[in-house]
Amino acid sequence: MSTLTIAALLAWGVVAGLDFVSVLQAMVARPLVAATVAGVIGGDPVNGVLVGMTLELFALEVLPVGGARSPDYGPGAVAAAAAARGVAPASLGVAVAVGLLVAQVGDWSIVAMRRRNTARVRAAAAGLDAGDLRTISHVQVLGILWDGARALALTTLGLGAAYAARHWLPVAPRATVLLTAVLLGLGLATAAHNAARLAARGSGVWWLAVGLVGGGLWVALR
Amino acid sequence: MGRPPLIAFLRTWFRLLTVQASWNYERMIGVGLGYAVEPLLRALPGGPDGERYHAAMRRAARYFNAHPYLTGLAAGAFARAEHEEVPAEQIERLRTALLGPLGAVGDRLVWAGTLPAASALGLTLSAAAPTGVGAAALLALYNVPHVALRVWGLSAGWRRGTGLARALAAPVLTVALRVVGPLAALGIGVALPLVAARLGGPLDVAAWMAAVVSFAAAWVIARWVAPTLGGVRLALLAAAAVLIGTGL
Repeated sequence: MSTLTIAALLAWGVVAGLDFVSVLQAMVARPLVAATVAGVIGGDPVNGVLVGMTLELFALEVLPVGGARSPDYGPGAVAAAAAARGVAPASLGVAVAVGLLVAQVGDWSIVAMRRRNTARVRAAAAGLDAGDLRTISHVQVLGILWDGARALALTTLGLGAAYAARHWLPVAPRATVLLTAVLLGLGLATAAHNAARLAARGSGVWWLAVGLVGGGLWVALR
Repeated sequence: MGRPPLIAFLRTWFRLLTVQASWNYERMIGVGLGYAVEPLLRALPGGPDGERYHAAMRRAARYFNAHPYLTGLAAGAFARAEHEEVPAEQIERLRTALLGPLGAVGDRLVWAGTLPAASALGLTLSAAAPTGVGAAALLALYNVPHVALRVWGLSAGWRRGTGLARALAAPVLTVALRVVGPLAALGIGVALPLVAARLGGPLDVAAWMAAVVSFAAAWVIARWVAPTLGGVRLALLAAAAVLIGTGL
């Protein structure tokens, strides 16, 4: 991977990391989007989409209500797409595992950042209580900068993990296929369980059933 | 009552895009809301050096929490109340009264409705259409209502002021809340078989059996054994087990 490609992936990881909570929330942090774009940047868009789809199944579990904790899939998806470059589709399990690991570390990093924000708000309480614009702007802008730094560190870690998985992880070819299958099963179960939870109210469960039948027919008739 | 210039509304709108940047366990998005609403308060009598501006800013950055896309409703309503010289106690009551509804409506409409529906469409098209179409469709289906909600929120908040509750009863919002949940369920239902076929296509029969067993085990664990474990942590444990079990 060239230096330019690595720089572009890092930049994209920062954009995706910021989008998750701090800036915009336009869902470019969704794994399907983040991994697709990272796949294009890294030169393997098809595998980018495939790992993005798998991670998206897991991301369907997340309802980011209130201050709920959740894995940070944006940088994770970037790392997964980097790990997936040139790999056979049946052996993408290691790349998906890298993405999930980075996303989980991202969850912890967001909690740490929120604690840091809380400490900063406490330290600036006098200015905030006085309605001082300088203090308010300072706290807000520092929040964005720290989140950007967090996303950069997480993406760097993710690209390092992707490199290590590609070059140093001694996994037998059959084991990578097994891992791909296991993670696919777990991802589908996670998405299905969440869909059943969402559909539990009112007529939702019927719509879910109609969708499953329709999707099944679509697969059968293709 | 003086009306802030259009540029002030634009500034507030753009600042609302970062309303969660300083999210913290003490004031939640209160600081972000104070930062966002500030341009609308500059037109208060006396300007940014006046007592009314400072009093309004003191109130603006206190504890607040709501769905980020609907915070514009609150920003517009607070600014309007400050311009109309509504008593401070009434503004505080409005803040408190908005906490629940703005969170609940946004969570149901966006996080439990629009987002899974857009994700399902993205997954479906990723499985069935050329590369990249799925991601583009996800972004389009999600962001058209997202941006519309943010634009409507700020303008409705300013128009309604302290009578904001009527904005939350708007027919469009009521219909959307009724439709979006079933739409998401339908979308995920359609997506799952297609995704399974696309991602499982390259797998052989033995690998498919492993996927089915994993699916069943994950369902049982999520439903009855450890509902709070979460899919990612379960997957990481499973990945470690596979790698160790196959002789890493």
